[in-house]
Amino acid sequence: MARPRSDRSRRDLSAPWRHVDGLLVICVAALASVGVLMVFSATRGPTDPPDRSFLVRQGLFVILGAGVMVTVTLVDYRRLRDWAWVFYGASTLSLLGVLSPLGQRSKGAQAWFGFGSFQVQPAEFAKVALILTLGSLLAMWAGDIDLRRLALVLVVSGGPMALILLQPDLGTVLVLVSIVLGMLLVAGLRLRYIIALSIVGLVGVVGILNSNVLKQYQKDRLTAFLDPSRDTQGTTYNVVQSQIAVANGGLTGEGLFDGRQTQLQFVPEQQTDFIFTAVGEELGFIGAATVLGLYGAVMWRVWRTAQLSRDLLGTLLCVGVLSMLAFQIFENVGMAMGIMPVTGIPLPLLSYGGSSTLATFASLGLVLNVHMRRFR
Amino acid sequence: MDHESPRLRLSILGIVVVSLFGTLFARLWYLQVLAAPEYRVEAQANRVRTIAQEAPRGRILDAKGRVIVDNRTSLVVTVNPHELQEVPDSAQLKRRLAETLTRFGVPTKVSTIERRLGDKQYNPLQPIPVAIDVPEELFVYLSERADEFPSVEVRRESVRSYPYGETAAHLIGYVGRISQKELADKQGTPSDPKPNDKPYQPDSNIGKNGVERTYEDDLRGYPGIRTVEVDAQNRVVRTIDEQPPIPGHDIQLTIDLDVQQLAERVLREKLDSIRGGRTRDGRLRAAPAGAVVVLDPNNGNVIAMASVPTYNPEEFVNGISQTRYDQLTGGAASENPFINRAVQGQYAPGSTFKPITAYAALSHGMIDRTTTYNDRGSYDAGDRVFGSPSAAGPVNVARSLTVSSDVFYYWIGHRFYRERATYGELAMQEAAFAFGLGEPTGVPLVDERSGNIPTPEWKRRIWESLPPEEQKFGDPNWYPGDNINMAIGQGDVLVTPLQLANVYAVLANGGTLYQPNVVARVLRSPNDPVDPGGVVREIQPVVKRQIPLPPEVRDPIVQGLRGVTTDPRGTATAPFRGFDQTAFPIASKTGTAEVKGKADSSWFAAFAPVDAPRYSMVAILEESGFGAEAAAPVVRSLLELVSGQQVTDLSEITGGAE
Repeated sequence: MARPRSDRSRRDLSAPWRHVDGLLVICVAALASVGVLMVFSATRGPTDPPDRSFLVRQGLFVILGAGVMVTVTLVDYRRLRDWAWVFYGASTLSLLGVLSPLGQRSKGAQAWFGFGSFQVQPAEFAKVALILTLGSLLAMWAGDIDLRRLALVLVVSGGPMALILLQPDLGTVLVLVSIVLGMLLVAGLRLRYIIALSIVGLVGVVGILNSNVLKQYQKDRLTAFLDPSRDTQGTTYNVVQSQIAVANGGLTGEGLFDGRQTQLQFVPEQQTDFIFTAVGEELGFIGAATVLGLYGAVMWRVWRTAQLSRDLLGTLLCVGVLSMLAFQIFENVGMAMGIMPVTGIPLPLLSYGGSSTLATFASLGLVLNVHMRRFR
Repeated sequence: MDHESPRLRLSILGIVVVSLFGTLFARLWYLQVLAAPEYRVEAQANRVRTIAQEAPRGRILDAKGRVIVDNRTSLVVTVNPHELQEVPDSAQLKRRLAETLTRFGVPTKVSTIERRLGDKQYNPLQPIPVAIDVPEELFVYLSERADEFPSVEVRRESVRSYPYGETAAHLIGYVGRISQKELADKQGTPSDPKPNDKPYQPDSNIGKNGVERTYEDDLRGYPGIRTVEVDAQNRVVRTIDEQPPIPGHDIQLTIDLDVQQLAERVLREKLDSIRGGRTRDGRLRAAPAGAVVVLDPNNGNVIAMASVPTYNPEEFVNGISQTRYDQLTGGAASENPFINRAVQGQYAPGSTFKPITAYAALSHGMIDRTTTYNDRGSYDAGDRVFGSPSAAGPVNVARSLTVSSDVFYYWIGHRFYRERATYGELAMQEAAFAFGLGEPTGVPLVDERSGNIPTPEWKRRIWESLPPEEQKFGDPNWYPGDNINMAIGQGDVLVTPLQLANVYAVLANGGTLYQPNVVARVLRSPNDPVDPGGVVREIQPVVKRQIPLPPEVRDPIVQGLRGVTTDPRGTATAPFRGFDQTAFPIASKTGTAEVKGKADSSWFAAFAPVDAPRYSMVAILEESGFGAEAAAPVVRSLLELVSGQQVTDLSEITGGAE
């Protein structure tokens, strides 16, 4: 390695903009473009003229998201740490607010604020706020986590989780759980605590399923993937139809805008939670594997940034983002292919939705931020 | 904590992420490559539907090509249930539709519309008819206001039309919605399907009676098949494939409309004119019903077949209501208009049976044409005396038919009993069987009856089937009296008018028993895409059997039958007075069959012209009196028509005596 030379020229070469992770940006841009296209395909309708409203809005969300991502990279992440608690407080307040009459109810959950024709889902932003907050805390302790500190972490993360669970939105809670577990793991929590926490989490999920927090249909949805043939028109309809759609794509796909399951709207919620079925059907194995490959590349770049980070805070922020994205991708794509339960988790960068798109871009902005400033 | 720890732990995280992605890739490969063919079948089933489009039925023509049953276009108002679901205020729409229909002269209630929409017989993918035969103005009105009536449509449908009204209603039959059982008969059940290249839908029409039923497979066309793609809401998105329907084959009947219409008219007129009067023995002429059959003895073709009372098949066009059906069938069985008495009515033939007894005696050599018996007005069978209305004096076989001597046949019937060792126990029955009695003729119509020719074995079987308390009133044994009664067509002898017409056809043609035909040929529709109007097949005459009728047997019988209308003492000479027989000589027989507690059945059977017979005719009028009084004038009218003579008004024909 040409380390000495690099040392000599650090002054010239350490400017953050010189170290932007171009590959990550390219992969993100490619995924967001595929997302806009597939949202259009899933919503244009079977007849002419096509419905362009979702296309326009998702395009707008992506442009806005890109702006947010750039904005996040402008401020050094170490200075963002000072603002972590502000974000945390704002996020918790908005989660409280959404449960009040200010919030809106839709699809069985009290999860949205309405602004004209747009809706904001605070839980999406809570994920980013939690990554920042936990990152600050854990980096401050520098790997020394005793039980008291662990308890503090659990209290800090338990607050938003409880509020989101009240909406109820189990999917997002599970995303938060994976963020916490991933960050604690890398922050140095003893493995036996990690294992213990995982068991507690598992017991918690089972407990939630057996409690009255979730409606019966939500529980049915969660467990439907275990036996999809049980009732093809009822709760398992989505599970069956989405698998049919993905499989119908075959190796090469039915062609963009030509997926019959997609165009004839056999898959409900296809532009949001089941967007991967449109990819699978219309672009086939080649297209779907490429999309998964792009996600893999993003994961790799985030993981690599975690490694390259010059401090623990940067590493932990990347780990939080990595845990969040990996869980969401695995859960969402797994759900579309019938190997994971149906929970309303969006597929990052592909699913239609403003809050999710903006939050994802913001989190990737954090990663870019860490990558850009790995030398100073 | 070790400085390298975060890196190590990052590796753990990396491994977890890699394994998660590996799982996703594996599942993707399985779904899209390994299992794709199975899922593709499911995807196909999801979105592709076939919609059958009924083909126009073939028409029904008479022997001269006149259209008796045609198709017409009916304007039908339909509601598409799927589109209705998306109408925000569907209750209000239904109310508005009912009001509009009523205003245009089609009284409709909201409940009627709702009942139709909920009816399981309709395919929910297709618009459901809620009003039928609506006026053209309503069509225009609704077409102009399509936006006010979403999901409502007026479409043109092909339904049956009957240019000649009630004519030949029984023979033609009618069509109606296919029943579950018929659907299973035609194409099996889902578990045991039968291939059918003219598949039926649950709302298809099918011939229910008459030739509409027996020639269903010819009349039915090939349904058109539209393969469409539907979306998740079952809305049709596009047509993938369309095969237009091919109209069904026309069938040309053997029926001559002129003869048919006259038969129906004179039969009805005669019944109407005598109804309510009294017979000479004081019984009420109820004259509720009757039948006429005209056959061509050379091939068994049915030239006319009338049954009164009748019905108008138009009533079945859009499905007859239960109320109306009950109203039509509610009276006594003798007034049921749906019975085709020509093939379903079973009557004692009375004296019209005598030629068969004569045939039995002559063909066994028991008598010859010169054998004479002195009819003194009654016959003493030893233990019982059989009476008769009059004494004919010494008669031979020909004379016995002309004057319709009962005593002559009592004597023959008794001799067949006493000399059963010589002629066999069943000599008379075998003669009847030979002429096709006691079995269905095989005419291609629905529910034909076989009549009855009593035998000793039959009598015992009937007695044995009686409940014990009734057996003591009956008797299992066959007595001379049974033979004697049978000889004059009474006792338990029952025939259908068609069977009897066939008996006289056999006498006419010299011994050939045909299976009667009602259809001459099957033709392609004028709109057939391949060969418009072409002949699909000619229906060939079917010979059931050949009966030996040598001159020494046939001649005396025909001679006797000739005298019936020509001899001064012939039983039907009076009603045939004024009929010119020089070019069209008639052989005929009257029949006056006793029915317990009622006025006699009036029969007349004839064939003509005698030397080269072209017609065999039978008329029966229930509870109407002497054959010469009621049935003979009906047959005379028909003979006048087919011989080219002026048809005499029925009121100018005087009845004869029996």
